[in-house]
Parts: sequence; C-alpha cells; structure tokens
Amino acid sequence: MTNQSTNAGAAEVTAIDTHARWPLLYLIGAGLVWLIVSGVLSLIAAIQLHSPAYLAECAWFTHGRVEAMRETAFIYGWAANAGLAIGTWLLGRLGGYPLRGLNWFVVGGVFWNLAVAAGLIGIAAGEMTSFAVLQLPRAVQPLLVLSYAATAISGVLAWSGRKRAGTFASQWYAVAALFLFPWFLTATQVVLLWTPVRGVVQAVAAAWYAEGVFALWLAPLALAGAYYVVPKVSGRTLPSYEAAPVAFWTLIVVGTWTAGRHLVGGPVPAWLPTMGVVGTSLLLFHFLVLAFNFKIALTPAGTAMNFLRFGLLAYLLYGVFTTIASFRGVAAHAQFTFVTVALEQLGFYGAVSMLFFGTLYYMVPRLTGRDWALPGLASAHFVTASTGLVLALVALAVAGETQGNLLLEAKATYAEIFQQVSVPLMIHTAAQFLLIAANLLLLVNFAMSAWACGEKACASAAGLLRSSSSMEASAS
Amino acid sequence: MSAPTGSDPRVEQAPVTDEALLDSHDKLLGRQPDDKAHYRLLPLNLLFLFSGLIFFAGTYLGRYAGHFHPSVFNEHGQPPKAGAAVAVAVDPLVLGKNVYGQVCAACHQPNGQGLPPAFPPLAGSEWVAGSEERLIRILLHGLQGPIKVKGTEFNGAMPPVGPGSGFNLNPEKVAAVLTFVRKEWGGIATPVAAAKVAEIRAKDGTRPPLTVADLEKIP
Amino acid sequence: MKNGPLFLVGLFLSVLIAWSGIVLGSHAQLGRQTPFFDEGDGVAYPARQMGLAARGQLVYADLGCASCHTQQVRRPGFGNDQGRGWGERQSVARDYLFQTRPQLGASRFGPDLTNLGGRKPQPPTEEALYRFLYEGSPTHPPYAFLFENLPIAGEVSSLALKLSGTSAPASGRQIVPGERARTLVAYLRNLNTVYDYPESRPLPVEQKAPAKEEAKK
Repeated sequence: MTNQSTNAGAAEVTAIDTHARWPLLYLIGAGLVWLIVSGVLSLIAAIQLHSPAYLAECAWFTHGRVEAMRETAFIYGWAANAGLAIGTWLLGRLGGYPLRGLNWFVVGGVFWNLAVAAGLIGIAAGEMTSFAVLQLPRAVQPLLVLSYAATAISGVLAWSGRKRAGTFASQWYAVAALFLFPWFLTATQVVLLWTPVRGVVQAVAAAWYAEGVFALWLAPLALAGAYYVVPKVSGRTLPSYEAAPVAFWTLIVVGTWTAGRHLVGGPVPAWLPTMGVVGTSLLLFHFLVLAFNFKIALTPAGTAMNFLRFGLLAYLLYGVFTTIASFRGVAAHAQFTFVTVALEQLGFYGAVSMLFFGTLYYMVPRLTGRDWALPGLASAHFVTASTGLVLALVALAVAGETQGNLLLEAKATYAEIFQQVSVPLMIHTAAQFLLIAANLLLLVNFAMSAWACGEKACASAAGLLRSSSSMEASAS
Repeated sequence: MSAPTGSDPRVEQAPVTDEALLDSHDKLLGRQPDDKAHYRLLPLNLLFLFSGLIFFAGTYLGRYAGHFHPSVFNEHGQPPKAGAAVAVAVDPLVLGKNVYGQVCAACHQPNGQGLPPAFPPLAGSEWVAGSEERLIRILLHGLQGPIKVKGTEFNGAMPPVGPGSGFNLNPEKVAAVLTFVRKEWGGIATPVAAAKVAEIRAKDGTRPPLTVADLEKIP
Repeated sequence: MKNGPLFLVGLFLSVLIAWSGIVLGSHAQLGRQTPFFDEGDGVAYPARQMGLAARGQLVYADLGCASCHTQQVRRPGFGNDQGRGWGERQSVARDYLFQTRPQLGASRFGPDLTNLGGRKPQPPTEEALYRFLYEGSPTHPPYAFLFENLPIAGEVSSLALKLSGTSAPASGRQIVPGERARTLVAYLRNLNTVYDYPESRPLPVEQKAPAKEEAKK
C-alpha cells in the first residue's frame, strides 16, 4: 500500500500498452491541441463580456460565434478525443488482450478531427445550428457519427472479447459512453436537423441531447478513468463498491430525464421542468454512492490523484448544485444568469476535464513506457489549473448572483447591471489566462514525452533496418 | 517486439496489478469466480436513502406535473375541461388591458388622458363613472359630435368597436375592456357582463353612431 | 453485467425510454398543435413569419444572438419579466409554432426580445434599431459589418443612417444597411406576443395561494 511513486521495480507497461501506443497518443495529442484552441476562444469570449466592442468589427468573431466555437472545441475537440483514448485504453487493459480494430480507430480518429476542424470554420462563417452543445454545422454531422462509430469499435470489441467474465466499474462506464453516443447523436440529428420537429419541441430535444452529452458520454468516460486509477494508485479496494452497479444504472436510466431543468418557467408544459426536478433528485443517489466509493481518493498520492480528487469533488458539487438550481423557486433567480454558466463549467471543466487530466497523468507514462519528460511541470499544471478554475467559477458565480438580484429589480437598468458585473467578469478573464497557461504546461510536457518515446522507437527501428541491410549485404 | 519493452524504471509502479484489482472488486459484488451474475442487496442505509429519494420524486411528480397536460404551463394549473374552451377562466382585467392597448390607446392614450380637442379623457370622466348601459352602447355603435367631459367640450368621431364593426371585438372583449376602463379610471369594481353586451347588441342591432342627445335618452 | 449482449441491450433500452419519454412525449403533445382561431377577431394566431422576417431569424441564429438574449417570457410572479416590460403574459408553446428554429436562449446578459415589436409604450423604430446595430452601445457590440459604406450616387438612399459625430461616414459616402441587417431588423420588429391565448392566461385568483408557498421553497 505505498502511496508515493517508488522507483523500485519494473514499470508496469504491458504489450497491450505498447501495441496501441501511437493511435492513443495521437488522440490525446489532438485533444490537447483542441483544449488550447478552446482556451484561446474562451479568453476572447471572456474579454467580450466586459468589453463588448472587442473584435466586434469582424463577423467571424462576434460573441455568439466565439461562444459556440469555444464550446464545440472543448466538447468535440478536447473532451471527445481524450475521452475516447481513455475509454479505449481502459477497455483494452481490463479486457486483457491487445486492442483489435486499431486501423478503424485511427481512421475514425483522423476523420473525427477533420470534421471538428471543418465544423469550427463553418461556425465562424455563420453555419452554426444554434442548438447549445450541438453547434457543429449540418454538413459535418454525418461524418461525426461515422467517424465516432469507427473509433469506438476497438473499445467495444475489447469489451466483448475480454479475458474474464466478471467486469469492473470502469468497463461499464467506458462501454456505455462508447456504445451510446452514436445512437443518441443520430436520434437528435434526425429530430433537429434532418426532419426538424416543430416549435419548442426542438428546444426540448436540444436540452435532452445536452444532458445526454454530459450524463451518457463525458461523465461516464471521466468516471471510468477515476474508477480505474484511484484504486490502482492508492492500492486499496473501493469502499461500498457493492453499490456501484446501482449508481451506474441510476446515471444511465435517470441521467437524461433531467432535460427539463433547462426549461424551467419556459414555454413548455409544466411536466417537463417538474420531470427535471425529479431526475436531478433521483440522480443524487448516483452522486452519493460515488462519494462513498471515492472516500479513499482523499489520501494524498501524487499529481494524478490530485487531479482526480479535484474532479470528483467538482462532480459531486455539480450534482448537488444542479439539483438545487432545478427547483422553480431557485431557478426564478438563478436561471439565465452567469450562475448557469458557472454550473456548466463546473460540470464540463471542473469535473470532466480534471478527471481526464488525472487519468492522463497515470496513462501517458504507461503508453510511452517512460516517465513524463518534465515531471516538475505536472504539479505546476495542477496548481495553475485548479487556481484558474476556482477563480473562474467563483467569479462567474459572483457575477451571476449580482446579475440575478439586479434583474429582479425593475429599476436596475442594463447599463447598471453591466457595470456591477464587470469586475467579476474581468477576474474571470484573468482566470482564463491562467487556464491557458496551465494547459500549455500539459501540452508541452506531453509533446516532449511523446517525442522522446518516438525518438527511441525510431532509433530501434533504424537499428533493425541497419542490421537487416547488413545481413543482406553479407548474403550477397 | 511484443514483449513488454521500453519500460522506464522511473514510471510510477502501481501497487496493484489489473488482475488483483478485478479480483478484489469482483468479490465485493458477491461474485465467486464462476458464479451467476447477481448483486448483493444494497447496504441498508443506502437502500433507505434510495427509497426516500424515490418517494420524494414520486410525490413531487404527482403534485407538480400539471396532469401531464400539453397546455398546462403553470405547475399549479388544471387542464381545461373537455368542451369548455370558452369557459377557461379569463381575468377580464388582463384581457381588457390588452384590448385597450390594441384598440383604444391610440386615441384615448395609454394613460387614459385623451388628446384634446378630439379625444376626450377617460381618467376621471363622469361618463366612465356613470351608466353602464350608455358605455356599452357607445362601444357598440360609436359616438359622433360634440360631448362635454370634465367641463371641456370635445368634438370627434368614435367608431364602433363591437361585433360587425371594423374592430370586430366580440361581446366578451367589449365587456372586458369596459371592466378595465371602469376599474382603472372610474373607480367601479363591478365587472361588465359579456351577456349584457350581447343582449344589448341583439336588441339594438346595427345603427348609425350615437350623439349626446341619443345618449341622454338611455338610463 | 457478465452477459455482454444483455448489458448493451439494457443500455440501449434505458436511453430509448428516456428519449421516448422526453422528446417523443413532447412531440406527441405539441407536434400537431394548431394555430388558435379567435372567433371574435376572425383571425388565427400566431401569424406565420413571412419573407424578410423569416430570413431575419436565420441571421439572428447564425450571429449567435441567443448567447446573450432569450426569447421566452416567464409568467407573472416568476422572476421579474413583467416588471422589466418584456411581455405581459408568459410565452407558451403556440407562440413558436411557425418558427423554423426557435431561439429560446439561455442567458439574459442582454434583455429578452420575445416581445420587442410589442413593447409599451412604443416599440423601437426601424431607424433606431439600425443605429443601435451599427453604433453599438457600452453594453452591446457594434455590428458594422452588417452595413455597407457606399458612395452617394445621385440621391442619398432612403435607408441611409443619419449619423453624426465620430461614427458619421466621410463626406460623399453613406452608410446603408445591407441585406442581412434589413432582414434582421424586420425579424426583430416582427417579434411580438401581443395576442393572449387561453393557455397563456394567468391562473384564476383563488389558485394563486399555493404559488406563493412554492416560491418560498
């Protein structure tokens, strides 16, 4: 039960890791580049909130489009790539055999990133769908489904062809995410883009999809990582693990019934927001079991664990706060303000991203077969990222609270509201700087590690070539 | 090349192998190595909490789901009764205010102050505070020629707004707008009944606009 | 969870049920909604968006206006939407019946626009909207790219903005709203929820007591 990294003993790098090394590293690298892109776009959007004229003369960078691009680059660029890599790697490792279908994985991964890049340009040019979380233009949507399905094949094959009958929580969550996403993406595309439903039903379908992206896709991938890395690093079994299956099924079954929480007081029949409250309340059980399971994450054990602890805490807070905010009495104040934005950031950045970071800090050294090139940057990344994130969330929450209170007073003009929230919004901009800096640390560290690994691979390949050519020479 | 190569001794060694991880957690799920899949019941405290949440959610749903009706937008609302589309309770003051804004405010102004010399004020007007029958007839038939309001002489032509006129307001709306005007500027809280408007309309039929002399004949 | 196919079927069914309940459920309820025919007025509401206004909605969507503006008014007593003059009644599903892509929005960093064309006492004029879009304000970005800076050939265009001070064009030139600005403004001026549907009316007074109790929670 050692906690800190010990240099003794052979590193645990298996043939499963080396076999899938480059495809997985490719997805992670692509994800990290998208993370920086999304960070820069977030920064632009953050500046525009307190200085509206910033970049306003350029149609490609109006606030609405930057906001859509930021969200798209984050979810479909960073989170999707990193999540796919993590999910597939876990299924391979826990399945016990080297991954199959890796050529599909690579082809899918390449086309997925092409689709996201083309989609971002499309959004900038004014082709966004205007549905939150599904902003990618119509034209690239079919490619998204196909390339995702191709990429996910490896993971699902690893699961169905696994060595042992019994399964582990990481596998449930990872398989659910890999398997479900193409289905609900397609279903949503059909009702929103190919044969659009009428009027507010579109808003309902978009809200349902947004819940699906979190509860059925990104959160499960993030949790899959946590369920694997936490016991591995701490060397202990998870307490109350026998309740984990119920927590899992609660998330899958109830997770998207919460869609109505986006439409409280809106032009939809009253049962939808009510169902939102019901959904978020039932989901509390999922969060509760997780809190029991991950009690052991509180013991300090290196950078990976730091990120995981932060992410799990954020995930629990997200669960509690969304429940509170879905009640009508609270929504009347907090809805439509920066509180909602803060809550979404808490879920997507605080929980999902930080859990991904934690898993990556454990996973990448095992893929490259060597320690991080610059281990010092890892802890610097944690300090900067967590400071930036807490700062951003607090600033947004304060801005939202002020905004919500002033909106309730008929006398407060919009100019007044703007003035009152501009200081917290400037702090939010500063926090976005910190986040970009933090993520650059990770990107640099990752690039150096991958480069060092690649150099060695090249050297050994060159060595092979040289020996074979000398053999030929001697034969002739 | 497929052998575990390239291991760097500096890579943090995990305290448990994958095998051990799976074994120990399998046991917790109550699986013997080759057992059928079955879950041990939840710990009692979790089961208790889970039931509590389900109970709360069920109660909340039953109470605030608006009977799952498509046209109930307020969680305290009741679905409209079958065949009673017209009988949906309408607040005549709200309806009247809307109609006033659409039809009357252009001349009599949103604040009811009128616009001399053609459009008399409604606020504080003795006519508004006076006979209901006269007001209904003014709206149904219109009013032409000079009229004295609050001591000032006005001379304009008010078009009819009731059924069959250019505005074609139904009796319900005529009654609502009068209710609103009388409450707001005449200080009379008793609503004007739509039935009464319809009755007067049926009795009078259509006729040319009234004059003050015609009005004074009406009780 | 040892039975692979059963596990996947379970996952699939869970999501299918949720999708059916939320999306298909509301589609079954609202997908065949019809306009409301007012016997008294002899007209059906809502009116279809025509021509410029319908195209303007696409401009509104592609500029991402919905990232700061909502188009949904909540009922009296729920928040302060009426106090801000955003609309006297709550928005209901029927309001959006003919909109190709309803822009409900999720943020009110800017004011709600549901009833912009029905604002009391006066809705903003075409001219005022053009100026606002061109010049912006301390709280709103200027969208000068929606306008064209043209030389004055012959007479000044009737749509040309009457600008003064720093934003005025050089002499001999004029600022004319481009096609996108014209459709956008037509759309904005067409936005209104003046008509009162039966389902949008507030509850009768005697049912209001529990509403207050709920607000306290």
